[in-house]
Amino acid sequence: MVRTRKPALYGIIPALLLTGVLLAMTACGQEPTTSTTAAGGEIQKGGTLVYQIGNPSFIEPTQAFESEGIEIVQAVFDSLVQFDYLTNELAPDVAASWEANEDASVWTFHLSGESTFHNGRKVTAADFKYAWERICDPVNKSNISYHLSAVKGFDEMGEGAATELSGVKAIDDETLEVTLSYGYGDFEYVVGHPCLCPIPKEEVEKDAAAFALKPIGNGPFMVSEPWAASRYVRVVKYPDYKGTQPNIDGVEFKIFEDVETAYLGFQAGSIDSTQIPPGNVNAAKTAYGVSPDGYTSNPGAQVQLGPELAIYYMLLNNEAEPFDDPDVRRAVSLAINRQAICDIVHEGVRKPADSFIPPGVAGYVPEAWAYSKYDVEAAKEHLAKAGYPDGAGFPIIKLSFNSGPGHEDIMTLVQADLKAIGVTAEFDVSDAPTYWDKVQNGNYQIGRSGWGADYPIIDSFVYSNLASTSADNFANYNNPALDEVITAARQIKATDERIKKYEEAVAMAGEDCPVVPITFYAHSRVGSARLHDFVHGGLGMSDFVSCWLEGAAAQ
Amino acid sequence: MLAYIARRVVQMIPVFIGITVILFLIRSPAIVPGDPVRMIVGERAISQALYDQVVKENALDKPLYYQYGRYLTRLVQGDLGDSYQLKRPVTHILFEKLPNTLKLALVALLIETVIGLAAGILSAVKKYSFWDMLVTLSTAILVSVPVFWLGMGLQVLFGVKFKQWGLPYLPVYDMTSRDFSTVVHFIMPGFTLASASMAYAARITRSQLLEVMGQDYMRTAAAKGLSRRDVIWKHGMKNAMIPVVTFLGMDLGAMVGGTILTEMVFNWPGVGLEIYNAIQLRDWPIVTGGVIVIVFMVMIINLIVDISYAFLDPRIRYTKAVK
Repeated sequence: MVRTRKPALYGIIPALLLTGVLLAMTACGQEPTTSTTAAGGEIQKGGTLVYQIGNPSFIEPTQAFESEGIEIVQAVFDSLVQFDYLTNELAPDVAASWEANEDASVWTFHLSGESTFHNGRKVTAADFKYAWERICDPVNKSNISYHLSAVKGFDEMGEGAATELSGVKAIDDETLEVTLSYGYGDFEYVVGHPCLCPIPKEEVEKDAAAFALKPIGNGPFMVSEPWAASRYVRVVKYPDYKGTQPNIDGVEFKIFEDVETAYLGFQAGSIDSTQIPPGNVNAAKTAYGVSPDGYTSNPGAQVQLGPELAIYYMLLNNEAEPFDDPDVRRAVSLAINRQAICDIVHEGVRKPADSFIPPGVAGYVPEAWAYSKYDVEAAKEHLAKAGYPDGAGFPIIKLSFNSGPGHEDIMTLVQADLKAIGVTAEFDVSDAPTYWDKVQNGNYQIGRSGWGADYPIIDSFVYSNLASTSADNFANYNNPALDEVITAARQIKATDERIKKYEEAVAMAGEDCPVVPITFYAHSRVGSARLHDFVHGGLGMSDFVSCWLEGAAAQ
Repeated sequence: MLAYIARRVVQMIPVFIGITVILFLIRSPAIVPGDPVRMIVGERAISQALYDQVVKENALDKPLYYQYGRYLTRLVQGDLGDSYQLKRPVTHILFEKLPNTLKLALVALLIETVIGLAAGILSAVKKYSFWDMLVTLSTAILVSVPVFWLGMGLQVLFGVKFKQWGLPYLPVYDMTSRDFSTVVHFIMPGFTLASASMAYAARITRSQLLEVMGQDYMRTAAAKGLSRRDVIWKHGMKNAMIPVVTFLGMDLGAMVGGTILTEMVFNWPGVGLEIYNAIQLRDWPIVTGGVIVIVFMVMIINLIVDISYAFLDPRIRYTKAVK
């Protein structure tokens, strides 16, 4: 056998690869630096906050309909009024003041006159009229036009019979008058939605496509470069902003499809605020500390687990047997162990729902929903009263839901709870569009749904889900007496009185149990160790103005 | 040769049309439940006028064959329609992402070629040695490990743990950052995407080389007094590489089409991730358009491989003439 010299290549290949990888890693493994030099203990100015969001479909207010896009709109635009991130209280924004007529059907907003667009032009009442009509224009097929459904002329515009909202008038540059089709005492909250902000017509007419990628707003931050699809949206401080100036220089909204990947990014120090993926909450609590109020992240108390103004509930098809019988509905509601769902599926983050109205919304009354307690014996009694003692003769029912995070785990527990009272439920799982198609067409027996508030008002939950005239009443619940109470409540101008009336409506509905509240949502987010006073509120929006970044590099 | 190329191109046409038919049928409301109008305008209540407008704009009131004809006519003009969800032309959405997917596939192919071949050669030359066992074991693991698990594991190790241990680390989460894409962004996703193929490439190289090394002409070459290196590189490799090169060429097509999982795990802004999102939202124009783009690219890549193979092996292009 001929022995030859060992070919050098055999050793060189792995050596070169290893060297290349290590060099590359060294090159990129440098800590980011900041230029902040302020002394500790004081609010420090500057820095860019890196914030994880899902992939938005839109970032301009006419079309933004998911929380991802709305958060960006919120940072870039100011509406007539705003909500406090912690208390959800109403406060002036572009409008300095406003008033309504006696039955709350005509609202007049007086603009402060200080707000300017990022192109330097002053915001006028006509900019609101233009923006709202753009939302309602059927050509734009906006998913959020329902916000303005109370405005006079909404239907005519939707049907293509009118080109403007007859109910919206710019009296002068600083006065906006809105006439509604009916009295609606909560309308002052509706106009606080981030997407009902003004839009500069000249920018849209100049280049609508460019505006969609780099909207020109009137808020504390301006979009600094066109949206990099699937990657990021960058906003920087608007230097001429007349309201409270942000402490930070800007926000980089980093787009992540997968929360797990984003969380790894957070752990590696490249993200300042992210959601915590399911299964990681307890470890995150230990590693980063829990925020005392659940909303504010500060170093050492970084995990935000505060309740959101949202509810997870079971839909019962009130139009079809056997759930057209209130006693069957009550039995189902009483049979479900909500605490177990919270503990097992949600790591204790969410709370059992004892009403259809979440805490944090004015009008929430503990245990307002009559049959929201876990009581198997009482459930059996109601089932027997309905003619099904121990479930005898009860048909096998379909438990329909869409595949998605946690739904199957929840439904497995619900299925077991129903079994305990003698009700056999079979899974009927579909993808989300198919599932919602079934629900909207009434082709289901028991389903699931979630409802988050667009504005912190009780009407957002009560009217939408329980009034027979609402398109979102997927339980097909029809109670004329309740409809009357809701209609009356909507027209009451005095807030306290109005809320009392809504409470009456909730109690009425709770007695009838058309839907089954399961859990109150809570967010599970975490902030970095350099992030101070960072509030993520119950409406799912983050306050980028009050927070500040410590000069040290990301943790 | 030109006749061969023309024949291959003509063969592609019915395949392509067949795929568009299948894709179109799959998305039709007759097969998949769900109202397309609702996918376009959302779940909230809309006016009948708007509903009718959307139906008319999308020819949803017309028979399926008419809708297909309309789709195909637009397709040949390069129009893949508008996204239901994003309300923008699908071509714009996909072509923003396509370069990222192509770059990732090419990097993966490079990794596959370099590491796969090197491991295969090492394994064959050092048969039954420690190195051979190491390669055999590593390839078995790489073939068995799911892509998403490998991707997450690499990120935890080289992104999180290395940083915590004070070692040089990889910014594997920065695919969305402004400085994307630099060389470092490709290391982990490229390795992950290449993992299974790399193992196959190593195994094919090993088996081919071992087979060739057992041939008479190899013994003759050694008997003539050639060094072992010359025997392997000049005589062995040339013959062993033909099936390997074919595998690598075909694999590029498979990689372009197979990036979905890797892109998802690494948040890679490519066509695969876009298709994944669109499937979840049932944004059919993106799903259909994305698959058509990938199919088209795979067909082109395969065509190029076939043509190059015909260059390498004249028997292929003369087959018909011989008959």
